[in-house]
Amino acid sequence: MRPGGRWILLATWLVVLAALGVCVAQRLRVSTDLRSFMPAPTTPDQRLLMEQVGEGPGSRLLLLAIAGKPDEQLAALSQQLAASLRKDERYSQVLNGSFDIAALDEQLLPYRYLLSPTFDTHAMDAPFLRDELEQRLEDLSSPAAGLLKGLLPRDPTLEVLKLAERWTPPKSPDVREGVWFSPQNEALLLVQTQAAGFDPDAQTVAIDGIHKAFDALPGHEGTTLKVSGPGYFSVVANAQTRGQAEWIGRISTVGFILLLLLAYRSVGSLLLSALPIASAALAGIAALIVLFPQVHGITLAFGFTLLGVAQEYPIRVLSHRRAGENAVQSVRDLWPLLLTAIASACIAYLAFYASGVNGLKQLAVFTITGLLVAGFSTRYLLPHLLPERVHDVAGMGWLVRARRWVDALRRPRWVPVLVALATVLMLLFARGAFWQNDLSALTPLPQDLLREDARLREALGAPDVRYLLVLEAHDEQGVLALSERLQATADALVARHAVDAIELPSRYLPSEAVQRARQQRLPDRATLEHALAEAEQGMPFQAGLFAPFIDDVQKARSLPLLTEERFAASPLGQRVAAMLMSRGDHWVGLGTLSGVHDVTALQALAKGSDGAVRLLDLKETAESMVVAYRTRILHALLAATLLLVLAITVALRSIRRAWHVLAPMTLATFLVLAVERVAGVEVSLFHLVALILAAGLGLHYALFFERDTGDAAEQRRTLHATLVCVLSALLVFGMLAWSSIPVLRAIGLTVSLGVAFHFCLSILMAPHARQD
Amino acid sequence: MASLGRPAPARTPFAEARFMKMLDEPLVVSGELAWLGGDRLERRVEHPNPEVSTITDGEVSQQREGREPRRFSLKRAPQLQILLDSFVAMLGGDATRLEQAFAIQYSSIDERRWTLTLTPRDPKLVRTVSRIDIDGAGNEPHCMRMQEADGDLAVDLLGNLAAKMPAVPTRDALAALCRGG
Repeated sequence: MRPGGRWILLATWLVVLAALGVCVAQRLRVSTDLRSFMPAPTTPDQRLLMEQVGEGPGSRLLLLAIAGKPDEQLAALSQQLAASLRKDERYSQVLNGSFDIAALDEQLLPYRYLLSPTFDTHAMDAPFLRDELEQRLEDLSSPAAGLLKGLLPRDPTLEVLKLAERWTPPKSPDVREGVWFSPQNEALLLVQTQAAGFDPDAQTVAIDGIHKAFDALPGHEGTTLKVSGPGYFSVVANAQTRGQAEWIGRISTVGFILLLLLAYRSVGSLLLSALPIASAALAGIAALIVLFPQVHGITLAFGFTLLGVAQEYPIRVLSHRRAGENAVQSVRDLWPLLLTAIASACIAYLAFYASGVNGLKQLAVFTITGLLVAGFSTRYLLPHLLPERVHDVAGMGWLVRARRWVDALRRPRWVPVLVALATVLMLLFARGAFWQNDLSALTPLPQDLLREDARLREALGAPDVRYLLVLEAHDEQGVLALSERLQATADALVARHAVDAIELPSRYLPSEAVQRARQQRLPDRATLEHALAEAEQGMPFQAGLFAPFIDDVQKARSLPLLTEERFAASPLGQRVAAMLMSRGDHWVGLGTLSGVHDVTALQALAKGSDGAVRLLDLKETAESMVVAYRTRILHALLAATLLLVLAITVALRSIRRAWHVLAPMTLATFLVLAVERVAGVEVSLFHLVALILAAGLGLHYALFFERDTGDAAEQRRTLHATLVCVLSALLVFGMLAWSSIPVLRAIGLTVSLGVAFHFCLSILMAPHARQD
Repeated sequence: MASLGRPAPARTPFAEARFMKMLDEPLVVSGELAWLGGDRLERRVEHPNPEVSTITDGEVSQQREGREPRRFSLKRAPQLQILLDSFVAMLGGDATRLEQAFAIQYSSIDERRWTLTLTPRDPKLVRTVSRIDIDGAGNEPHCMRMQEADGDLAVDLLGNLAAKMPAVPTRDALAALCRGG
């Protein structure tokens, strides 16, 4: 190409990239909800789990502890913080132990006669009222007088207080200065966020909001605010992963650039070889934007890692340049093999698409688009830009010596057999579980954070995050009625200390049947007035004092019954809404459990219910999901492997040659697995992903080593290209292996080992050297 | 002021009459008040119905025969907070604490008899309790009158005066009793 044409091409390419970049930057919407990287739920329990994991009341709960000053000041801070957060829409519930009458809406106040069980056992008649009024007189001459004086005319039987007592969490912490305190003298609060627990970005906003509100309080200086809970953990994990990935990425990028400069001694080539990768990344994101409404952050992070394979394409082109030969000509010679490499990598990544997991599907779309764009731009665009004259690597002295040494290597036929045997033995005798089913084992949370959470959870009596009671019925009322029937058994279990507390939905919202019965038992105006007059006889209460009470009872008699929907407007209703949900053809109610001591007793409770009540073990369900997920990925991998064998056989037009490419790759893959197993690593999904990536790289090495050009210089160039690729892969993934985050370490370690094994076995099992 | 101080536990009989808007007649109870040292106060009612209220660590607990104890925060009972502040400060001989919580006005009737008028400094408290008058003679307080902002009034006769609570007290009769005692 003429020099002018080259500049035009370069300029056009850059302009297209810039335009794509602007377009991507404007339209890219990154989501951080970790659930899109979890498998699609198949059973109802799994479906519930996925909802609970992200949106369940337990996972949206943040535990707060304020420490560092005397009780009195901490209590004041707790009250002010609660008041400020209650005004904020981001938090659906804020509890700090102080009863707030405002929690019950003014309009809902008459509902107390339908919600409180007091009149299930007593009639609202003269003797009952007399007894209550006598108590009130005692109250008025007691220190509580100031507290009750305002309530009395409207609520002489103190139903509001009874309800408040009923609704305080079943196992509350100590109350001092009117708010919850831990044994370690911290003021405690429970905050439920609107944001899903496993959406780190939304949780970051919610947690920042809490800190901002706290920092705005007068007198907060000198105190500390601790936050814990699933939402906080997802923020910490996200930040840690991002932080480590960033510094590791920075170091390996610098190393990578240095390596390429050393290998090709040309800044121009280096810059140009970045173009296919940049195009690949932008095209990949663009494809995601077109196909998915939101792109997951992890897809991008993993995607860029997996795209590392594509860096091989320009490297191959640069290494295989012959002195004096036109770049276009070099690429043309290389292309059939490069195309096979691209196609096989795409087939391997196709396995992700078949996994059925949204996040992995995105990953597949991103990497496959990226690989194709990188490959084709390397073939059709890059060569026209590369300088005409280059330094032929084949002439380098060290490379000649290295190639000679490699060629002189003894390649006994028993080496692969021995390696295979060792692999089988290692796999057989490795200790411990083969698969890692526990998703939480991959959460990079420091132990002391988890201990702190357990301590606060215990102090607050906050619900267990592992077990849930699931109540099912055909409608909302059925669930509530079931919950009411269950209450007695639940109380018995608590009395037996099988569990510290069980909180059922009917605790907050009685069924319509119960409400209607209570409504019907309320006396009419005349009867109540008469009973009250009789009760008041000889008592000093002013005439007409209790008119607001009589009005409220009359109102309660004709109120439309309280439903979840009607209740939802008030702060307490939010809590009910979290415990009751519609499932299309039926309704589900959730009972939260605190301090589970005897799981079998709870299972027995579920067993006795004819399937209407189930004990959901979130951990077990999550594990069953991981197993199902993995089975699916393994099937997809198997299919991909078959497709790969077929593709390579067709491309090389020889079963024997295909065998020479596939054998070292397969052997190296199993060797990595065996070595990790012997080292005590339990295999997780991330290890599988990494194995596929390593296999993709290994396939390239084997393909190029298998290529018999009969030209010693060309063989040297192959070695040069492969060495550059291996070193750059080792650099990038070796760095990841040092990370303290299990996910990153799993990928780094597996790919580094894989690259090393693939390289060694490809050389040792390369066919033509043996034929010499 | 310091002369009013005495070592804990300090106990004194009391009789209390409460005049409330919502009641046609005042409520009268009697028993014993005890300062247990620190911020702990015990109010033991013997007539007409036995009841023990204690304040410890900012929490009030109230016990009656045959009933579940009731607990609530001192924060929610400002009258009690004021009673505690004035009582503890007085019995503890802690003038500084008293001055921190109240604006104090001292007036003497004659050589022996005096009246302390306390106005809460806390703007929130003053909205419920507008002032307290403590009448005494020598180093002995014998009457506390708590005027609430809504017009309700609580009069506590202390020590020997407690026995002199009339069966049907009136505001005027008690005021006279306090000043004259």
